[in-house]
Order: sequence, then structure tokens, then C-alpha cells
Amino acid sequence: MLAPNFSNPTMPIEQLPSILTLDKQSLSEQYAPLNRLINLGFTLLVCMFGMTLYFQPFIDLPKGLLNSLPFFIWAAAILGFLFTWLSYARDLVRSYALRELDLHYTSGLFFRTVVSQPITRIQHIELKRGPIERKVGLATLQVFSAGGEMHTFQIPGLPVDTAQQLRQFILQHKDVIKHG
Amino acid sequence: MDNLPSASATDSRNPQETLQTIDDWQVLSPIAILYFTASVFKHMFGNLIYLIPALAVSYKSVLEHPFIWLPSILVAFALLTLFAFVSFKVYRYRLTADNIEIRSGIFSKKYLNLPFSRVQNVKIEQPLYYRLTGHACLQLDTAGSAKNEAKLVAIKLEFAQQLKTRIQSQVQNNTIETNQENDCANGKEQPGQSADSAVTKETLLNTRKLSDLVIHGITSNRIWILLGGLAPFYDNIFDSVGEWLNSLGIDFTELFSLQTHSLLEVGLFALSLTMLVMLVLVSFSVVGAIVGFYGYTLSKLDDKYIRRSGLFTKHEVSMGLSRLQMIVQKQDWLDVLLKRINLQFEQNNSFGKNQSLSATSSKIIVPSIKPHECQALIDDAYPDNSLNTLVCNDGFEPISKRFILRNILLVLMPLWLIATSITLLNDRLMIAALVSILFVGLCGLVVLRWKRWGIARDQNFIYLRKGLIGVDYYCFPTYKLQQTQFKQNLLMKKRQLATVKFVLASGSLKVPMITEKLAYKLIDEGLYKVESCQQSWM
Repeated sequence: MLAPNFSNPTMPIEQLPSILTLDKQSLSEQYAPLNRLINLGFTLLVCMFGMTLYFQPFIDLPKGLLNSLPFFIWAAAILGFLFTWLSYARDLVRSYALRELDLHYTSGLFFRTVVSQPITRIQHIELKRGPIERKVGLATLQVFSAGGEMHTFQIPGLPVDTAQQLRQFILQHKDVIKHG
Repeated sequence: MDNLPSASATDSRNPQETLQTIDDWQVLSPIAILYFTASVFKHMFGNLIYLIPALAVSYKSVLEHPFIWLPSILVAFALLTLFAFVSFKVYRYRLTADNIEIRSGIFSKKYLNLPFSRVQNVKIEQPLYYRLTGHACLQLDTAGSAKNEAKLVAIKLEFAQQLKTRIQSQVQNNTIETNQENDCANGKEQPGQSADSAVTKETLLNTRKLSDLVIHGITSNRIWILLGGLAPFYDNIFDSVGEWLNSLGIDFTELFSLQTHSLLEVGLFALSLTMLVMLVLVSFSVVGAIVGFYGYTLSKLDDKYIRRSGLFTKHEVSMGLSRLQMIVQKQDWLDVLLKRINLQFEQNNSFGKNQSLSATSSKIIVPSIKPHECQALIDDAYPDNSLNTLVCNDGFEPISKRFILRNILLVLMPLWLIATSITLLNDRLMIAALVSILFVGLCGLVVLRWKRWGIARDQNFIYLRKGLIGVDYYCFPTYKLQQTQFKQNLLMKKRQLATVKFVLASGSLKVPMITEKLAYKLIDEGLYKVESCQQSWM
């Protein structure tokens, strides 16, 4: 009854490849500084907007709003800087790993997450590049499985070449070709 | 599209040779107008829900001007009928040897071409108004989005059945071919089976009696959803009910007044009234269960499960065994008392996303069955699973007790402290005591929740137990995994704990606070299983 090339040897758990010992690759060096710049810029923009609103002579603002505006601006500035600092630290610890049969993405400062995506379960791939990413030559790799949109596997901040190589690797992978 | 002759030539081995391919574009039977009207109405009433608040506010003033609303309703009605008629007129379908084409749409034209081999799921639906003429709707789901489904709106029931068997035999041939190519380590399907697939008869696995459905209606209190929806109208409802009862000569204020009646009497009145209301609500739920699941049969043809049910609209859902992603065994607290189980066979979730436990959903639900029937069904689907022994011997590994500590200390305690300090500062002793009782009760629930959590695994499956007062068991073959996630925060890292999330095509499952070692083991083994066994998840 057995198929000719069937074999099913016992596999000791210790010998399985473990996600504990992943060969982690860091994202592009530009990625974290770029994000920091964007966040800082956005914070600055919000503060500037508040300031122009405060100092402009054209519209009469309600008294209450005028009095509390400086407080809001300060709050936005402090929160913005805090967020920028935190997300910079978070961006630095993001990494990915490629094994022969699966992809892994590690992220999180306080809440560490390792997402593992077997290549054989990949449905399709997307390379996403916004205007800023295009400018500096970065790309985001999105990998879709049948697990649904909520569980899209994505690696941001890859150099375009790396992203394209990864995509090529996945597309030409024997598992994907078989199940395509 | 024009390779029809060759396609039908290769089709000669097909068991359903009697079913000829139709080369020309076909028109539906005129009965479809009814369907289109009904669907337009359904669609409209679905949107009308958002208008109800506006109508409720202004309905008095609207009622005062019948010469406005009467004609407008008539015009709307006429337009809808016209719309349904034109929809029917422009609908065309064509069947070739191995695919189906549908043209439809009035303003935005839609052309759909679906190869049979891509069909995930075949559903036959027979609304009440089709039953007289023997027509039915055939719905073909693909693995893609819910929008890309094909629906043959009005075809003869026999034709629908024939078409279904043909499509499914094609799908099956396809999967067997790919499975043979894959020479999978776990390949259970023997090619020999497909040869006599046309001969095998449908075997009946389970039927539900009316009494079972009544139990299902009582235990699945879906009525609370309805109650929530009615919430804005409570005042009006109570007022009008009160008026109605007054007109019958029953006066509430007098009934419940302690001056005219003793405390016992009033208490009895209140008790019987709540009982009465509960009875009404439960009977609604029972009616809902009967409408959805009347004449329930679950049968098996080859490796396909077929569920048929419905009082007014008859639904037929079929699912190939290979499409099955996960078995869920659900028991609410009432189910635990009555020793009944709701069994669910879950498949790809991309279609029918927002249909939960209703009869129309594409997962196969077996409502309120007895434990031994449930076990028989599970063993039928996954013969080598050991869920039963695990349940009997309590073979599940519990999660860390820190789960209790975390939830009480970090979530409930702060809330309780804030609430009691505020109430105590305001000298509201009674409320503070109530809050404390609630706090203790919630802590008890957290402990119960912890007690329910459990995970187990064997060679081929991963089992999960969770619940609060009821117990739910989840069981899925490890190779069906789509993705795994390992989660750990700093506190958990210190205690060497971790949370694991399994992503399947039917949804995701999370196990919180297990030991780090077990988490790594689960993920490493899972990935190994998926990658070493080349079996497709579909």
C-alpha cells in the first residue's frame, strides 16, 4: 500500500531547526533614520500648525481655545518626540531571516514577536514602495497566505535589490511552483 | 474560450456524460425574477436598518402626509420590480466542459469566467418560492474574495445536482492528480478511490430531530443579539405593551404596589413575569433554530461532507475533506449541563466572513449533538486523532498560573482600586461593596478561564482547549498551518513564558502564557511538518 518513495523516519525534536537560532538579517541602514526623520517632521508640522494658529492675526479664536493652545502644542511636541524616540529604538531591533523553506520577521521592543511564514503556504507577493521609499531606494515586501488579510507577513525597509532578490527566491521556490 | 470541441472530447471519461455541455448563452427561467426582487428587497432592508432611527424620529410627521409617502412607496416598488426584471433580462450563463461563464449587471456589467477546478465549495440553496417550480440557486465559491463568487440564480434542481457532482468530480480529480505529483508523506487518498467514486452512494452520518433543534434553540441564546438591536426602542415597546395590558384591564402599578398586595404576592408576580418574558425570548430562539436547521442531514459522499437543512429556504453546503481546516467542538454552560455539543467543521474563511453561526454559513455546523455522536463524526473526519482520549485523561498541558496573576493584578486590581476609592471617598458604602463583590466574581472567572486553557499535540494534530464556563475544543492537523507567531514581552521573558499564535486558513488561534520551551517546540515542529509534508492545505 505504501507509495514507492515513502519514508517517515522518527525525528528527534532536538534536531529540528529552531527559530531560536535564526540567522537574523538587519533591515536597511537607512530605514530607522528615515523613519525618525519622517516622525520628527510630522511632529514639527503639527507644532508649526498650532503655532501659526496661535499667532495669526486673521481669525479670532475662542478665548478658551487660545488659552489652552500652548499647552496642546507642548503636549504634541513632547509626545511626538517620545514616540519618535521609541519608534527609532523599535526600528533598530527589527530583523528578518530567510531559511531555505521559510521566512521570519522579528520585531518589538517590549513585546517581542517572531512571525514565521513557510514558503509553501505563500499565495502571492507584493513589493510596496511609497514615494519616500522610492526616493531612497527602499521597499516593503508583503507576503500573503491564506491566513487572511489580518495576517499578512511583511518586512519593511528592505533595500530594493534585496527585496527583489527575496521575491525572486520565493517565486522560483519549488514549493511555490508546485502549489502555484 | 473557443476550444470547446477539444475540451468536451477530453471530458469523455467524465462520469456525468449525460450532462451535456451547452455552447450557447443560456437565459434563466422567468422564476428568477422573483429571486432578483427578493434579493433587491433584502439588500434594501439591509440598508434600511441605518434609516430606522431617522424614521423613528420623524414617523409621526411622515404619517400625517399620506399623499407624499404613498405614491413614493409605490414608485419605489415599481422601480424595484423593473430593476429585478431587467436584471433577469441581462443575465446570461454558459457552461463549457470545464468552466462556467456568467454575464450579469445592468449598469456595471460583470463577466465572470470560472474554471471548475478552481471551485472551493458548492452550495445549493432553495428558497421557499422556488420549491413549487423545483428550481434552485447554485452558488460556487472560489478561494478568492467573497465578491468573486458565481451564482446560477434559477436552474432546475436536478440540473443543479448534476452540475454539482460534475464540478466536484472535476475538483477531486484535480486534487488527486496534484497529490500524486506531490508524493506526499501523508497521502491518504488512494487513486483507486476516484475510479469508483461515481458508484459510491451517499452515506447518512447524522440527522437532527425536532427535539434536538429545540435544545439547540434554548442553548444558543442568540436572542441577546436581537435584544441589543432593539435597545433604542425599549421605552416605546414598554409603553405600548403597558397600554395594551391596561386596555385588557391589567394595571401594573396596581399589581406591583405594596399597599394593596403583600411582598410575597408582588415577588411572585415579578417572578412569573420574568419567566414569561424569558419563555417568549427562548421560544424566539427555538423558532430561529428550527427555521435554520429543520430537516438537518449531514451525509458523506466519497470524501465530501454534505449538509442540508432549512425550513423555508433549503440550504445545501458541501465541503471536501481536504478543505477542512479545523474541527471545533463547542459547549456553552447550558450545553455542559445538558451534555450536548455543537460541532463545527471549519474551512477557508475568505468567503462568508460575516456569517457566524447561522445556517447559511459555509462552515458545517452540527447543532446540539450527543458526545458519542460527536466523537463518531470527529473520528470519521480525522481517524487518527486522539481528542477523545485527551479529553478523558485530561492530557492537556495547562498554561502558566501567572495568567491568573497577570489578569488580576494588572487588569482587574487597578480598576477595582480606582472604583472603590472613588466610591468610598464619596461615602457610597453600598456601591463599594457591590464593586468588591463584582471584583471577586471576575477574579473567579479569571481562574476559571485559566483552568480551561490547555494545549496538547501528537504526531499529526494540535489540540486546544479553552472556554470560560463552557468548554471549547479545537483540533487541527499540524500541516494545515499557514503561519506561526511567537510573542513574548519582557516580563514573560523573565519567567520564560511565551504566547503562540497559530494562523490557519479558517482563522487564528492563540495560546497565552505557555513555557518558552513548549512554544519553541510547537513552532519548530509545526514548521517542520508544513515544510516536510508537501500536502496542500486546500
